[in-house]
Amino acid sequence: MALFSFLDRDRSIADPGYSRWLVPPAALAIHLCIGQVYAFSVFKIPLTQLLGVTKSLPEDWKQTQIAWIFSFAIVILGVSAATFGKWLEGAGPRKAMFASATCFALGFFISYFGVVSHQLWLVYFGYGFVGGTGLGLGYISPVSTLIRWFPDRPGLATGMAIMGFGGGAMIGSPLAIKLMAFFRTSSDAGVGKTFLVMGALYFLLMMFGVFTIRVPQEGWKPEGWTAPVKEQKLVTTHKVDVNVAFRTPQFWLLWVVLCTNVTAGIGILEQASPMIQELFKGTIGPVAAGGFVGLLSLFNMAGRFFWASTSDFIGRKPTYFIFFTLGAVLYFFLPMTGANHLNTVKLFVTISVILLSMYGGGFATIPAYLRDLFGTHHVSAIHGRLLTAWSVAGVLGPVLVNYMREYQIQHGADKASAYQTVLHVMAGLLVVGFIANFLVRPVDQKYWLAEKRS
Amino acid sequence: MAENRKKSSTATILFAWLLVGIPLGWGVYNTLLNSMKLFQAPPAQSAPATPAPK
Repeated sequence: MALFSFLDRDRSIADPGYSRWLVPPAALAIHLCIGQVYAFSVFKIPLTQLLGVTKSLPEDWKQTQIAWIFSFAIVILGVSAATFGKWLEGAGPRKAMFASATCFALGFFISYFGVVSHQLWLVYFGYGFVGGTGLGLGYISPVSTLIRWFPDRPGLATGMAIMGFGGGAMIGSPLAIKLMAFFRTSSDAGVGKTFLVMGALYFLLMMFGVFTIRVPQEGWKPEGWTAPVKEQKLVTTHKVDVNVAFRTPQFWLLWVVLCTNVTAGIGILEQASPMIQELFKGTIGPVAAGGFVGLLSLFNMAGRFFWASTSDFIGRKPTYFIFFTLGAVLYFFLPMTGANHLNTVKLFVTISVILLSMYGGGFATIPAYLRDLFGTHHVSAIHGRLLTAWSVAGVLGPVLVNYMREYQIQHGADKASAYQTVLHVMAGLLVVGFIANFLVRPVDQKYWLAEKRS
Repeated sequence: MAENRKKSSTATILFAWLLVGIPLGWGVYNTLLNSMKLFQAPPAQSAPATPAPK
């Protein structure tokens, strides 16, 4: 449509004076907004009190029904990223970011109607389906553009953007709490109006990203930078089509790498608050446990930047080797820090934050790993398909932790020692990830695109 | 587009970073405040009769 032609890829090609340092804030504007999804839990209680306002009435929605909103959004994130990745490569980041902003904001607006009319399906459809589509599109939209602008530091560039996704929850949570308190009256929990305002605010910030992002001109490279002459074994100069990449062993090995790393991280995230309280019963209460969860979020975010940037210097494969070797050792050792053994809260917290930094690092380093193996041609699209590993881990992690723990407790284990088996299984998962990472080799030339040299 | 033909100014770059940096900083500050509770909070209210050995 001519009306939206300003979003076309060729209308967003940068002129010679454009600074590449405008691209990371444009990407961050998107990721800081869509990262709000991880703060959705702040709506859990208020959404169960829409009719009763101060307490839940029998006709109010149940917690179990509310939980599906987040799960649905995350599943649709993976589906959307996998489905629209190839379209994005042709349409360009500006159009994809605009579509993402529209869907994400629309999700909030539809949910507003769901809240005021007390129709749960509208919230599922709005936040879960429409908003979730925006999440997937937004997550992958700036990736290939960042990598093209920063051929010298792809890890740093994508790390900055994906760090924003971790930071999004830190903004979304206090913002929602403050807005709900502002709009709350004796007859209204304030959730609906909060959805409206958040949708509008996020749309505006995302529009900043839409209008700031530019793609580099063909053949552009940073001033004074020349591509390394010495060929690195695992860094290709060739292109691989997304549909072909999908059939390579490298794609599936990285799928396992991401899935195992995320599953293990979720194992801690999912149980962080009860775990620290049960391992240190009598020492750590609910308030301190809340602080622990906050600390984990900070290291999850910081790890995205730190590890992805570090991978530019030490390489992607060695970075994941650190995650899987150090991670496996730390997961194995973690339960021994509890009150039944060493009884050291400081050591427990230190190990946990290192593990969470590597969980975030795993997310943020994968786009650069994909770029190394498959080239920049369809890197966003390939990344989109790889994110199905996240969707699987999002289900697998909590299920593993909860069911194994329940099983242990039912068979006579006390709550604290039930964590030991769970965490040791997580260590085992990281060993699987180690093997997958070990098996990664350069992509065979039979998979390269016909024009070969990029 | 005409505005793209000139070099991006330092002020534009700074503005762009502030636009995303301020909300992120606010979020980090709030999270840090929350995290402090781990180091400041007194032992659990519902502590067992015989606390775990230190």
